[in-house]
Amino acid sequence: MSFLSKLVTLFGLVLLTHAGYSAHEHTVLFNNTRLALPHDIIVETLVAVVIVSIGLVLGADKLKPISWRDWAGQIERDGGARNPYLGLEERYGFWDIRAQVEPVLAMALRLCSRVSGIVVEHALTISQAKRKEFGDWMRGQDLPAKQ
Amino acid sequence: MGAPVDVREINGSDLISALHLAQQAPAILGPNPTKATTSTTGTAEEYSQLEQLFLACLRTGDDQSAQACLDRLSHRFGPANERVMGLCGLYQEATAKDRAALEKCLEEYEKILSESPVNVPIMKRRVALLRSLDRPTDAIAALIQLLDALPTDAEAWCELADLYQSQGLGSQAIFSLEEALLIAPNAWNIHARLGELLYVSSSAPDSDASRLGSKSVQHFCRSIELCDDYLRGFYGLILATSRMLENGHADERPSDPTVAPKKTLDQLKGFGLQRLREIVESRSVDDQHWASSRSELIAAKELLNRFTSS
Repeated sequence: MSFLSKLVTLFGLVLLTHAGYSAHEHTVLFNNTRLALPHDIIVETLVAVVIVSIGLVLGADKLKPISWRDWAGQIERDGGARNPYLGLEERYGFWDIRAQVEPVLAMALRLCSRVSGIVVEHALTISQAKRKEFGDWMRGQDLPAKQ
Repeated sequence: MGAPVDVREINGSDLISALHLAQQAPAILGPNPTKATTSTTGTAEEYSQLEQLFLACLRTGDDQSAQACLDRLSHRFGPANERVMGLCGLYQEATAKDRAALEKCLEEYEKILSESPVNVPIMKRRVALLRSLDRPTDAIAALIQLLDALPTDAEAWCELADLYQSQGLGSQAIFSLEEALLIAPNAWNIHARLGELLYVSSSAPDSDASRLGSKSVQHFCRSIELCDDYLRGFYGLILATSRMLENGHADERPSDPTVAPKKTLDQLKGFGLQRLREIVESRSVDDQHWASSRSELIAAKELLNRFTSS
């Protein structure tokens, strides 16, 4: 909620309270004459309701798309990670974990080589023993940065 | 789990984000990851995040953190939980030293399945392991067995399609994906995938190229209809329509009513090129945001260049 919308809502609520109080006082004062409510109180109530509504609408969150293609398009524009059907292509249940590991290691080494300027292409043939070493290195490197 | 990581934003196929997530594992798991937390509470979301973290750790070789994730999950759901059993199997496969160890995993799966024949995660692991051990025929047989028991598992249908495709059985792959689409009719990526399979099959010499090509165009169109600015759909649409036009499968008045006439194909191709150009222009502006789909963008640019130069 922005400041403006909060202000408008607050103003509307004050008006509404005022109208309610006026109506109460009016009925207490003219209890036995059974006079109808004066028009200014009715108008004040209606205006207050409109103002409160405007304030709430102004402060509402950004609208979300309701048509499927807009919604899906937004997901794809965000990189497709929230696609509920991504699982049908990733298929985590059928993951071949050993085929998954090496591309990641290769990618990590390539990233490192880019950073430090060292050519590590020869290190891309990674055995299972290397995999463990790499895991230890990943943990070790991260710990000081996080503490 | 107080670390400021938005696991949901992780795209599984994206190596950089998986690496990034796995690097945060020690921070998420806390200073003493080996000790399982005593509390058994937590929201479903937290545990699905933990599962994602487990997968990312296994992928990046951080077995220790993966073990910690697994400990927590089995502490909460019990080691006899089917999903936990599946994850446990995944961990053993990932840490298996050699082929013999993998064969042992397979034996273990078979033992579990003989006790409870409908343990779906383990059935899936078994199929994956058979495939990984270069036994695709066995994997297909096991998968068909799974689908006999559970014909509404779209993930399994997709995997079956992928297996068939890897064996060069295009028409079976197409059938499997169509089954998956019956279960998830709005999955725009599966429509695009089916379009791709049909496109590949239509290039086979002894195929009914005009019918397959036309079906491929239809599925790409559906994927675009379901998702605004779907780069993959437009890319496929351009390829499929231009092949139909080049190979002379496009008639002014086709005899088969399901095949689109030449004029429509021309219009579709023009539309696809125009939209793809717009997408490429809008996305290359801020490069950082599109880091995960950069290869897609490069491919799209190349396709556009090919069509503008010719």
